[in-house]
Amino acid sequence: MARDLAIDLGTANTLVYMKGKGIVLNEPSVIAVNRQSGEVLATGHDAWDMIGRTPSYIVAVRPLRGGAITDFDITERMIRLLLQRVGVSRFTRPKVVICVPSAITEVERRAVTDATRRAGASDAQLIEQPMAAAIGANLPIDEPVGNMVIDIGGGTTETAVISLGGVVALEAIRVGSFDIDAAIQSYVRREHGVAIGERTAEEIKIQIGSAEPGPEDRSADIRGRDLVTGLPKTVRLTAEEVRFAIDEPVAAMVMSVKRCLAKAPPELAQDFLSRGMYLVGGGGMLRGLAKRIERETEVPVKMSPQPLEAVVLGAGHCIENYQALRGMFMGARR
Amino acid sequence: MIALSFITGFFTVMAVISGSALLVLVYLDNRKVRIDDGIAQFRRHIDALSPEARRSSVHHNNSEDKWGR
Repeated sequence: MARDLAIDLGTANTLVYMKGKGIVLNEPSVIAVNRQSGEVLATGHDAWDMIGRTPSYIVAVRPLRGGAITDFDITERMIRLLLQRVGVSRFTRPKVVICVPSAITEVERRAVTDATRRAGASDAQLIEQPMAAAIGANLPIDEPVGNMVIDIGGGTTETAVISLGGVVALEAIRVGSFDIDAAIQSYVRREHGVAIGERTAEEIKIQIGSAEPGPEDRSADIRGRDLVTGLPKTVRLTAEEVRFAIDEPVAAMVMSVKRCLAKAPPELAQDFLSRGMYLVGGGGMLRGLAKRIERETEVPVKMSPQPLEAVVLGAGHCIENYQALRGMFMGARR
Repeated sequence: MIALSFITGFFTVMAVISGSALLVLVYLDNRKVRIDDGIAQFRRHIDALSPEARRSSVHHNNSEDKWGR
């Protein structure tokens, strides 16, 4: 008998929680496929190492963009492989709860549930990421108080106000940390005439990227291909330049938080001033982002102790209490 | 003959009235059960989200080495 699973099928990373065991898998949402035979060559960390470095017959792709499936077949194969890796066989079909962005369409929801069922699940239920994040971040959402959670993932930014076990206000945009990487790539190409890959852009963001000036501002040498000569070239990038480059996606994230605050009922709004907002997701780890949101909204922002795992832990709690929390699943509220 | 049809009619009307009354009672009883169910279900939902209920799963976070990072 297979143990039931919770999956955070993120644009950047996929985490799997097994009932009674906790988190059993955490790796990049990347799959490498042989273009000619259609055979899967690698998934997760191994496939991530291949991005931008493959011969023409191999393609290493992220099958999700903006939290939604862009390639149904590849996503189904990735989920099937994930299930196999955590011990699901043809004869053991677990119930699966999958975290999805609240902004995805009905068609995209169907794609996720269909892909999961076809990959071997007996039942596939969806839960909104901000709700799962609030459960996983251990916020007191069972009380009649305003809890605000900001989940910044690879492809989406979702802000939700939660009280008494339900979503009161929600704001979601399809801007995430991959848009920050893309902004860095585009800036370096435009201002320095150098092409860099998405992995290099991500490394720059982690090393010197920030949303607010800070004492640890520094510069870094980056290597790419000169667009004029076609030769390898090294350029020096400062933290201030990166901040300028990423301002547009960062400003969009902050604006979405402000819109969610504006949607919240006044009775709950006063709770935020005393309790603050909680930041989860890998994108929330950008240096100075919490400070910038705090400066622009005048509401304290706290970082969740487990920003990367909060969503899957919340979904895991739902799989542990499947019957009691059935009402939280997206189909149940229709 | 007239008396017989009167008695049959009387019993038919009585049967319809009793049946209807019984249906109304069953409906009202079910409605009460549904309201009670809603309260109990909401209570279960809220209880399942309490910090005590979450202690076992949310704090069940495995150590980092298990993920092979």
